[in-house]
Amino acid sequence: MRYRILMILWLLSDLLLFVGTYALAYFLRVGWIFSSDFPFDKFINITVIVAPVWLLVLATTRTFALTRSQATPRNAAYITYSALVGVALFTLTYYFQYAQFFSRMLLMMAFVFSAAVVWGWHCGYSAIMRRILRKNPAVFPTLIVGVTRESGRLIERLNRSNHPLKPVAILDGRGVKDGEVHGVPVRGKLNKLEDVLEQEHITHLIQCSDLEQSLNLLSACRKRGCTYLLLPSVLGIVERDERVDTLEGQPVTIVSPKEHWWTWFFR
Amino acid sequence: MQTFILAGGFATRLWPLTEKRAKPLLPLAGKPILSHLVLNTPADSPITVSTNAALAEGFTQWKKEQQRSDIAIVVEDTAHDDQKLGALGAVAQWVAQRNIDEDILLLTGDNYCGFNMQEFLRAARPGTAMLAAHDLGNREAAKAFGTVILGKDGRTIQAFEEKPPEPRTSLVSTGCSLLPASTIPLLVDHARHHPDNVGSIFEEFLRQGKPVDCFTFEEPWFDIGSFEAYLEATKALVGERVLIEGTASLERTQCHGAVVIGKNTHVKDCDLHNVVLFENCTIEDCVLQDCIIDNHCTLKGVDLTGKMLRAGTSLTQN
Repeated sequence: MRYRILMILWLLSDLLLFVGTYALAYFLRVGWIFSSDFPFDKFINITVIVAPVWLLVLATTRTFALTRSQATPRNAAYITYSALVGVALFTLTYYFQYAQFFSRMLLMMAFVFSAAVVWGWHCGYSAIMRRILRKNPAVFPTLIVGVTRESGRLIERLNRSNHPLKPVAILDGRGVKDGEVHGVPVRGKLNKLEDVLEQEHITHLIQCSDLEQSLNLLSACRKRGCTYLLLPSVLGIVERDERVDTLEGQPVTIVSPKEHWWTWFFR
Repeated sequence: MQTFILAGGFATRLWPLTEKRAKPLLPLAGKPILSHLVLNTPADSPITVSTNAALAEGFTQWKKEQQRSDIAIVVEDTAHDDQKLGALGAVAQWVAQRNIDEDILLLTGDNYCGFNMQEFLRAARPGTAMLAAHDLGNREAAKAFGTVILGKDGRTIQAFEEKPPEPRTSLVSTGCSLLPASTIPLLVDHARHHPDNVGSIFEEFLRQGKPVDCFTFEEPWFDIGSFEAYLEATKALVGERVLIEGTASLERTQCHGAVVIGKNTHVKDCDLHNVVLFENCTIEDCVLQDCIIDNHCTLKGVDLTGKMLRAGTSLTQN
């Protein structure tokens, strides 16, 4: 419920920001008046019509996904791309509606403002949202499978960045002596899986080792409606150069040889 | 004589097959490992099976299906492996609570012993502890077990070596032993300080100058503690054949090696190679090799090698 409310507020605030940044661009370009040559009501009507479509485009970039970090260049690129689509949609809609062209500078300003303000807001809002989602009881209690250095680093990173996925328990197939890893208790071996899933109301499971048990962990997740995540290092992919793609519709994980950066577009 | 079967382990290495089932209740060549043991136990020796609270229900159910009426289930008050009494501790607690003053045939519930138990008992000398040792016939293989060093008479045990790097013998101790009534006070006392290790009681006997006899056998023996050991035991006992329950079905399927198909399991258009399918599974268009599939699994169009699947797993390739 907490998550749903926060998400609705986020979407609504994005809509308002989109309309607000366009209005700001209008006043900065036209002046703080309601021009009769370029009426504000026509401008804002089109902005309001375009805003939900822009939001839909933004959502398709998965910027609202739980696993997405907002303050990353990749996310900024997605938001910028959506802002560009927003401006294009606005221009087309305005032209189709009123058969008029207007200031190109205004469009540039609307693009820059909507991209920058929305990204800034996303960074701020997600930080607040993360804090609220992690408050006990956490909305997304996460189970880590495997005590490894990689899982230790992951837990530290999730905790440091206040990620909504809050590690609450660790299980290890081999059994380890560690009582806890970065404050997260090691609850034992995999025979306690059902107990931990039940008691901690686990919503996400991150497999960090025990490759041979991936089918069974996945099966447990499917049965309980948990989300299953797998670290590529479990498959031996440790250099962070993998990507998930499709091969004739079949999902595949791809690790390509390192070549020039521009080959990324064609591999 | 009383028979005491240790079945209180949580068998974490066999997860997920042991998620809701004790290891001795895993089916081996068509019946639970424990049933193999019970069938080999003398009819005049009441049987007590010691287990833990988390897995007790399965034993109660198993008991109902047995033809013998002299089977008792004692439940340790533990729900997890970090709370358990320890194997020897469980024996000592049972001895104290039931005032046992007879010889005890002590068996480990996850061991399959192919020899005749009557022969084992006939070989015992009154008042002398005895344990069964299996000759692996290969010293290299003995590195993974506790070995038994025999004296010059070839019968009494001189020493034990736990997982020696350079074994002096290929004789390994198994989960079958006989404890005479006279040794019970020593057992109870020893269990106070060493509740976990059953084998340590025999070392204690040697330390105190009490003889321990060895019953050497070459019949099959399996300590079913891991996926590999479980599959190995199945292969050895089933051989190159298909063991199928009456209510199961097998259509247009090629089977190689040992294949066991449990009740109400239906297999169609598959290729199976050393596979154990538990009950109520549906397997279609699959290639399975060295797999053990728990109850209520549905597999369609998948290829698996060397997997144990937990109960209720559904894998359907679209």
